[in-house]
Amino acid sequence: MEQIAIDIPRLLFLAFAGIAVVAAFNLILQRNPIYSALSLIVTLCVMAALFLLLNAPFIAVIQIVVYAGAIMVLFVFVIMLLNIREEESKIDRQKYLKWLAAPMFLALLAQVFAVIRYVDTTPPSIPSANAPGGNPAESLGTVESIANAMFTTYVLPFEATSVLILMAIVGSMLLAKRDSKQDIERIETALDAEQAEQEQAHLAAEKSNKEVAA
Amino acid sequence: MQLENLGLYYWAIAPEIIVSVVGVIIMMVDAFSSRGARKLNAVIALAGLIAALVSVVMLDGLGSGSYFSGMVVIDPIRIFFSVTILLAAIVAALLASQFLKDEGLPPGEFFSLLMFATAGMLLLAGAGDLVTVFLGLEIASITSYVMAGYRRYDLRSNESSLKYFLLGSFSTAFLLYGMALTYGAAGSTNIQKITAAIASGQVNYPALLLIGAALMIVGFGFKIASAPFHLWTPDVYEGAPTIVTGFMGTGPKVAVFAAFIRVFVIGFGPQDSEIGIQLHTTWVTVLAVIAALTMTIGNVIAISQKNIKRMLAYSSIAHAGYALVGFLTGDFAPVAFYMLAYSIMSLGAFAVIQLLARAGDQRTEIADYAGIGFEAPALSFSLAIFLLSLAGIPPTAGFMSKFYVFKTAWDMTPELRWLVLVAVINSIISVYYYLYPIVVMFFRPLVPGFIKPRIAGMTMIALILTLLGTFYLGIMPNRLMNAMSRPPAVVTQITVK
Repeated sequence: MEQIAIDIPRLLFLAFAGIAVVAAFNLILQRNPIYSALSLIVTLCVMAALFLLLNAPFIAVIQIVVYAGAIMVLFVFVIMLLNIREEESKIDRQKYLKWLAAPMFLALLAQVFAVIRYVDTTPPSIPSANAPGGNPAESLGTVESIANAMFTTYVLPFEATSVLILMAIVGSMLLAKRDSKQDIERIETALDAEQAEQEQAHLAAEKSNKEVAA
Repeated sequence: MQLENLGLYYWAIAPEIIVSVVGVIIMMVDAFSSRGARKLNAVIALAGLIAALVSVVMLDGLGSGSYFSGMVVIDPIRIFFSVTILLAAIVAALLASQFLKDEGLPPGEFFSLLMFATAGMLLLAGAGDLVTVFLGLEIASITSYVMAGYRRYDLRSNESSLKYFLLGSFSTAFLLYGMALTYGAAGSTNIQKITAAIASGQVNYPALLLIGAALMIVGFGFKIASAPFHLWTPDVYEGAPTIVTGFMGTGPKVAVFAAFIRVFVIGFGPQDSEIGIQLHTTWVTVLAVIAALTMTIGNVIAISQKNIKRMLAYSSIAHAGYALVGFLTGDFAPVAFYMLAYSIMSLGAFAVIQLLARAGDQRTEIADYAGIGFEAPALSFSLAIFLLSLAGIPPTAGFMSKFYVFKTAWDMTPELRWLVLVAVINSIISVYYYLYPIVVMFFRPLVPGFIKPRIAGMTMIALILTLLGTFYLGIMPNRLMNAMSRPPAVVTQITVK
């Protein structure tokens, strides 16, 4: 009996980790960006399950809500709006990258093994500030402990983040809003001027070529 | 944890609160007022910045300490750097009014971006924790990216904004990774606690700490435009609207220097433990090499520039190098004084360039300045004074600040005297390219098509302020220097309240 009780989390871990790896491979092997996006969703959801296994329910929920939910919807929207069908064949230019990828992958793999081999995996002592009442190790990663930290120790960064997000909204509104007629005219004149300049340079170059030839 | 122990003391972040609230007020006023309440926005922004300046000066009365469970600190570093940031923001706000009118750009967003950028920089200057360092830096950076692209119809402005955004995000990732590794090594993001961990030798993995510090040098080094990480500077400075360039080259740089000092000079200062000594000697050596490279590359490439904004971009790289020499003395005062002097003269120079370039930044080649010396004497003489000050000619702020930095470095760090020599040779080289536009302005025939620019009242005030500042710091620096060295120059002990 005891044997089984120990093994279930490990089996679950192996299953989820396997799905995550397969989905991640599928993500980069697919040619159609929509399929890639869908496999990314699978990877992210499975990662959420892995977080649950690690006793981090809050991060698991956030992972699904924010990454698998909001960000992926954005991805799919952009793919559909841009109407990308097949991956464009621009691979010729980056052929050598393939040969770079293998050593990079091996280096990362070595790094992971080094971490597993050398790093002390005993759980760190948790500061009691984050765990009011009860066993600190149990409350780690719960919504309660995160809320406690967020509204006591980290209340100033929490508020500062709102300023950061506000600025990101104002900035993207400003840079992406529809051009007024005046602005479009200005852009067109700027483009025209640049074109004229290039043509002039081209003519001058031709002229000098002819002179050299003569 | 009891709420009383957290130090939720709102006076400690009064400047940040004032500036952010004024930013929101400006957005509201802009939304509900008739189109283009430009003057009103400028007046509100200036009032907010001046109120913040008063509150920064009053912070001094609260005494040194850390608040919000160590997230912000009050110490002389914060006060002097915050004053510099606010002065730069005030000059930028004064100049913005005429710029926005001439270009026909929306005023509300500009002033609110300016206010929030200032709030981010103030937070960065007062950050006592890596978390607030990161947030302050991001707020200041994101607003800068947007401001660089504010002239949306201009292709150069778009290029500048995009380049700055992509490279800036890349460098922020380095900084964040460095912070994460430092946290892993020291077990805390609080700078004071990191210092305590290093001093007691209780660092989990010494290698992690060294890699973390290296990555943070990359991140900070990018933001202050120091040498191997300076490549973005010329394009971004050239393409951004001139007053934005002026503001971007001063405010964020000042704020990043403050955080850089607090993390490295104080946080990673010389400690008794083995890892502390190793870390300190390593980063001092690395930064000495970076400083020498920064000065040399900035000055040598500046010589061949034809565009005055590009030239000043390279000059700002060189000045970051000089400030780094002060940084290595282990004292914040030379850097604070240097950045104040640099901000004043650089903003002044960009103000004149903005006026001479006319709407759309059409005339920014040095050749466009030919012969204008006696056509627009007020502007030409001001520009000449600012350039001479940047070159370090007495009796201007530039001379005094360089002298202060070099003297302190020579006296306090004998092993870095070679660096001081490199800096002195570099400032001699720099005289050439600073004098060149002056020669062109006064001793060449007048360029055809020159129209004498109109100077609005607020712009005039900004020019007079920067000119006065240049001479005040050059002739009577004693009061400020005494104020900076009044408390123990390097604050190592801060009580957690």
